[in-house]
Amino acid sequence: MKQNILLQLHPMTKFYFTLFIFAVVLISPGYIFSFAIFPILILIAMLAGVAKEFLNIVIKALVTVLIFIFIMQMFFYPGENVLWEWGIFEIKQEGIKYGLLLTSRILAIGSAFILFFRMTEVRDFVKSLEDIGLPPMGAYVVLSTLQIIPEMRRQANTIMEAQKTRGVETEGSIFVRAKAFIPTLTPLILSSIAGTEERAITLESRAFSAPVKKTSLHQLSKSNMDRALPIVFALVVIGLIVWRFFL
Amino acid sequence: MTAMIDLKNVSYRYPVSDDSVLKNISFSIEKGKFTAIIGNNGSGKTTLCNTIRGFVPHFYKGDLDGEVIIDQTKITDYQLGQLGEKVGYVFQNPFIQVSGVKDNVFEEVAYGLENLGIPVEEIKIRVEEVLKLVKIEYLRDKNPFELSGGQRQRVALASIIVMDPEILVIDEPTSQLDPIGTQQIFEIIRLMKERGKTIVLVEHKMDLIAEYADDLLVMHKGELVMQGPVREVFADPEFEKYQIQYPHVTEIALQLQQSGIPLSFLPIRDEELADALNRTEVAAHD
Repeated sequence: MKQNILLQLHPMTKFYFTLFIFAVVLISPGYIFSFAIFPILILIAMLAGVAKEFLNIVIKALVTVLIFIFIMQMFFYPGENVLWEWGIFEIKQEGIKYGLLLTSRILAIGSAFILFFRMTEVRDFVKSLEDIGLPPMGAYVVLSTLQIIPEMRRQANTIMEAQKTRGVETEGSIFVRAKAFIPTLTPLILSSIAGTEERAITLESRAFSAPVKKTSLHQLSKSNMDRALPIVFALVVIGLIVWRFFL
Repeated sequence: MTAMIDLKNVSYRYPVSDDSVLKNISFSIEKGKFTAIIGNNGSGKTTLCNTIRGFVPHFYKGDLDGEVIIDQTKITDYQLGQLGEKVGYVFQNPFIQVSGVKDNVFEEVAYGLENLGIPVEEIKIRVEEVLKLVKIEYLRDKNPFELSGGQRQRVALASIIVMDPEILVIDEPTSQLDPIGTQQIFEIIRLMKERGKTIVLVEHKMDLIAEYADDLLVMHKGELVMQGPVREVFADPEFEKYQIQYPHVTEIALQLQQSGIPLSFLPIRDEELADALNRTEVAAHD
């Protein structure tokens, strides 16, 4: 096991950090500050050793959306100072400014959440939610979904093979493959629905609804850092609010 | 001896079907007995297991008549959750018997104990012990979704016996296993019996039933047609009527009898055949 101080933080601490970024971005004025957060997040990702995946997802998931939002704002945000004009399209200064503000915030908040999920195992996060009162039923739903997706993919492959042996063509042009999709999908959905009943019985036979408080092999511990950091975050946020609204 | 499982005139019909799957079934199983349920496909064996476990009527609706009494208490007076501790149920399909929230076999087996609120230290000890017992220690770090049928079947059995229920209901635990694996499972079941568990087993492998089980319930088209100690049931000429397999040695013995070779008794275990033949010879010499 790699001993990484950042990764070893309690999931809740990481989550508080994400909320902290969220609050800071919303409170702080202008876009320069919000844009400055992104390099900080990259730095954190590097320290935690997840920079590559982090950047990968940010580029794939966020950048196109951001560009699109920025262009929309640039053209359609109401304003007076027209910089450039072509037919009905006008680029306005206010639009650019608002576009930058909006994209900077989305970038900071979005990438903070992406970083959170890169740095936190979902089961750790769910466990920490359970510790603060999420009912076991809810925890089960989240966790089982994660495991069932690869299981369903496997099942889809099996069904696909089965249909192939029955003569359904599954390879070739997009059209052929699309046609093969329906005879694969129907049994997959039906069997999944049928499977839920058996799964419910499985859980029941493992005493899922036993009227006692559950224990867990999976324990999360809090270090001094985990106790200190949320207080630091809270103080900074309060400081920002005071600076922004009262001074 | 007190009755652990007691059924009185039980009939059951699934919600959307017209026929009853169980018809007027009455039997009682004493504490510590190993009872095998046999019968052909569709004769209601699994439904009977579901009834003992309380999934009928707590989970499956439909009409249940008669009384099911588990450990002196009517099944309708239990909550479903309470029965989890009392009756362990390993069911047929090993591929679905995975909790779906655990990444490795060790935690998978521990899941039931977590739900029962057993302290972590004790869970670890009990899981270790059961993994050793079921001979799946080598799987402890594997993902339960990536196991073969036989491996899953062992994990499923381990996950239930680790909870240490008083009654074990086991529905075809060896359908995916090779002969050695099957033998091992029966050894585990025997061990459970030695620990005083009441065991109800559905199985098709008659040789092993003859070797290990105490009593036999024969199901035929939803009715309980025969019941009694294993030897008596196999020896009863009525048994042949239901087209259920005999233990191999019994089959041979019956053929020997048909071709005129006298046997002193009807053997149900392999090692008894010689005995059955010898004694008649001795008897003939006298």
